[in-house]
Formats: sequence, structure tokens, C-alpha cells
Amino acid sequence: MQSHQGKCGYLRLDGYSSDGLEQVSDSGIDKSFLKDQFPELINLSDSHHVSRSQQGDLLTLIELPQFQAPQHAGLTGIDSRVKNQLETLQLHPDRHLHFGRDPELPNKDTLEFKKLESFSLSLNTSVWDPPSLNTFWFELVNGAYGDVYRAKGLMNLPDGRSIFFNWVVSQESSQFLPLQEISDPNGRPRSLSELVVQGKHLDCLRIQSTIDLCLLNDAVLEMHQMPLRDRQKEAIPST
Amino acid sequence: MNHAIISCLHANLPAVEAVLNDIDKQGIDTITCLGDLVGYGPQPNEVVELIRKRGIATCQGCWDEDIIDGLNACECSYPSQLAERRGHLAHQWTDDQLTDENKSFLASLPTSLRRDRLLFVHGSPNSQHEYLLPDMDAFAALERVETAGADILFCGHTHQPYVRELRDGSIRVRLQNAEHGNDQGEELTLPMRKIVNAGSVGEPRHGSTNATYVIHNDATDEVEIKEVAYDVGRTCQAIVEAGLPKVFAWRLSHGFEFAEQAEDASHVCER
Repeated sequence: MQSHQGKCGYLRLDGYSSDGLEQVSDSGIDKSFLKDQFPELINLSDSHHVSRSQQGDLLTLIELPQFQAPQHAGLTGIDSRVKNQLETLQLHPDRHLHFGRDPELPNKDTLEFKKLESFSLSLNTSVWDPPSLNTFWFELVNGAYGDVYRAKGLMNLPDGRSIFFNWVVSQESSQFLPLQEISDPNGRPRSLSELVVQGKHLDCLRIQSTIDLCLLNDAVLEMHQMPLRDRQKEAIPST
Repeated sequence: MNHAIISCLHANLPAVEAVLNDIDKQGIDTITCLGDLVGYGPQPNEVVELIRKRGIATCQGCWDEDIIDGLNACECSYPSQLAERRGHLAHQWTDDQLTDENKSFLASLPTSLRRDRLLFVHGSPNSQHEYLLPDMDAFAALERVETAGADILFCGHTHQPYVRELRDGSIRVRLQNAEHGNDQGEELTLPMRKIVNAGSVGEPRHGSTNATYVIHNDATDEVEIKEVAYDVGRTCQAIVEAGLPKVFAWRLSHGFEFAEQAEDASHVCER
């Protein structure tokens, strides 16, 4: 997307739970992160933007959560429910490739699951104590709250930054990508913040209770923000 | 003669029993304990009573002090809000469990023990809460040993065992005398000093779950860091059965500390 000269779009299709494989509802994490990186990004999930998908120079990232390889190769392997979603959006695929099966795509990070639990938590307006977040994430992805295969989140820090946390069990380490937009140090942030975890034997109550220990209350948040506001004032030249 | 130094037992009875058994097997009679008998672990009374029963000379650790004096300060010693809240939870649980008799014992402990040129403390000669990390500034490290008047300083608190030799040390003192308009200087050349950290019996932090302690020979000054395997699963089960946070068991079974450790070697509690 970064090297594409024309417009970029994003479309998230719904995945489907089946046979102990629990889908998580769309958290909006990916869309928020991409929108931050590409402010002109067209959200094709929004129906009135669909016609723009027909534009020749539009590069669209389509995200479809899927746990297992399709039973058939090629276009016939597309789940009929996914086909219906695409038809509603007037999208007509000419090829269908699958990670881990088709050599055109990298095999890395391709996992198949027989059982998968999902946990998601809205963290909107929440702000983390940074070293506590570091410890929590370390414990989470290393199995302190169950076997985690996939975890991602948008986390707010007291200095106004928001960080995209991304973990896949097949990777050696997590990705920590700061968003470009920084909130004013004035009360609680309004940007989307969410955590999504997928794995096995997840202890959701303990995840939640540990998070509660890591989040800043209003008084502590104000202690962080006050010097930032003072610095901003000092940076503005007096007239 | 060989003597053994143990530290940071943290109410982990299986680890303490394994280490004392290892020391006994070597026929060592003199044992010195550098404190933190309690804190985080599930068997505070059992560990204190074992140390008392064995008559092991012990100095007071930061946890032992806090259990007696209360968590009245030193928020600066927690590296994160999460660590602080977990620490407070463990403190409250330990406070509820400990008998008055065992609390009195902890209150009676000295902050340091001295045998000739050997000094035994929990953190540093300055404070039970100060960390003497292996890579701290050499001058600061030398200053801690020299001002305490020791040749060898035995400490714990960091949970990382190490031996650090401070060679070729010198301290230059310069007095500016305004009245006479000249400077008077003096340089003191110091003999080698040594800091020996015993690591931790009950909450190791050296990359494995094994308990650590050290043996020192007071004739040759040789120091040996010993590792002892123990039944970590037994401690973890006791943590869960005691109602302490399960994450303490997970961290211990993976060779991490129960909560977290401050990394700042210059940290000194200001209270």
C-alpha cells in the first residue's frame, strides 16, 4: 500500500465460527491502524463507497478471518457466504489464493486450528501505565493466561500516543507500531482502543483483572498530562 | 573454613529445604541469611520457623522490614503500577498469615551483620531497598564497600548472583583552601574489595528456576555460586491453594520473579 501511487481501500468481510473455532467480531483495530497510516484510505465496508471500488487505480486490502484451508482450489473454494458478501458489494474476484496452499503467497504465519477460543475487550478511553502494559503483554503472549496464538490491540499511553500491538504465535516477537496521530494531553483519549486474543484455555477473567491493575485512574493520568500541557504552553511563543 | 550465605527466601519452603539440605551435605555449619524471609511466596510462617529452629544468623530484608513497619513509603521501588498492586496484595496476604511471634522475630533482625572484614547486608550498607547490580558504576560500588569498612560485602536483593572484584581502586580527595589560596590533595589507594551477591533461594532471577546461594572460604576468599534444583511444582501448587495470584505460580515456574524487579542500580529508598 505504501508504494501504491493511487487510492487505497480497505474491506473487512465477516468470518464464520464453526466446530469449536470461535470467530471474534470485527474490532476495528486493523481499520483504525490503516486509517492512521493512510488518512485517505477508503472504507469499502461503508456501502456508499462501493462504487469507488470499481475505480481502476484503487488498491484494496480485503480481510477475511478464516481458520482452515478451503476444500477446493480456485474460485469454487470460496465459501458461499463469503461469495454473497462479495456480490452485495459488487465485487467479482477473478482469482482465489490461500495462504499455506498456493505458492504465490508466503507460507509464513499460516496456522490451522482445530479448536480456538476468542476474547475481545473494548478499552476505549482507557490509558495504560506503560511498564505495566509491557509486563502484561509479555505474560499474555507467553502463556500466563492460557495458550495464546494470536493477539492484537490498540493501546493508549499517557503521553497521547497509541500503539498497535501485534502478535502471532509463529513469529519470534511482537510488533509494536506507534500510530501517527497523537491525542492532546487533556483527559481521556477518544480514539479506538481494543484488545483481541485468540487461543486455547484462555482465562478471560484473569486477563481482565490484570488489565484492571494496569490502567491509570484519572488522578494519575492528570499527573502524567499536566507537565505535557505545560511543555506545550512553553513551546508556544508569547506575542 | 567454608561458610554458606543464603538470601531472598521469599516464603518458598521447598526451595529453602532443598538449599539447606545441599549445605548440610557439604558439612557446612555456618550459614548466614541476608533477609527477605517472607514476601510473595505461600509459606511465610514455615520459612521463618525453619530459620529460627536452625538458629541461622539473619539480617533484615526489605520485605521483612515492610511487614513490620507497614508499606508506609517507597512507592519508588516498584517499577510499575502492576508490580505495585501485586506487591501490595502479597504484602497484605503475608501480613494476615504471619503469627505475632514470627513478626516479632522479623522485627528483631539487625540490618547488617559483621564478622571481621566480612559485612552481610540485604540490599546495600545504605539501605535494605538499594540494589547493587553487577554492572553498577564501579566507583559507586567501591564507595559502598569502602565506607562500610569491609573487605567483602555480601548482599542479595537483586536475585541475580554474582561476584564482583573491585581492583586498583583509588579515591582522590581535594580540599580547596581559600584562606591560604592553595589546593591540598590526597589520593588513597585501596586494596581489592569484593561484592558477592547470593542471588535468591525462593525467587531466582538468573534464567532458570534453580535456587542459588554462595559458599565462601574465609581462608582463601574463594567464592562458589551454587545452584540447587527443587520441586517448583510443589511451591506453585501451594501458591494456588493459598489463594495468591496464579500469575505468581506461572512466573516462578518459568524462572521469572513473582512480580517485577526495579532495574535502576542507583535506586535508594528516600524514606
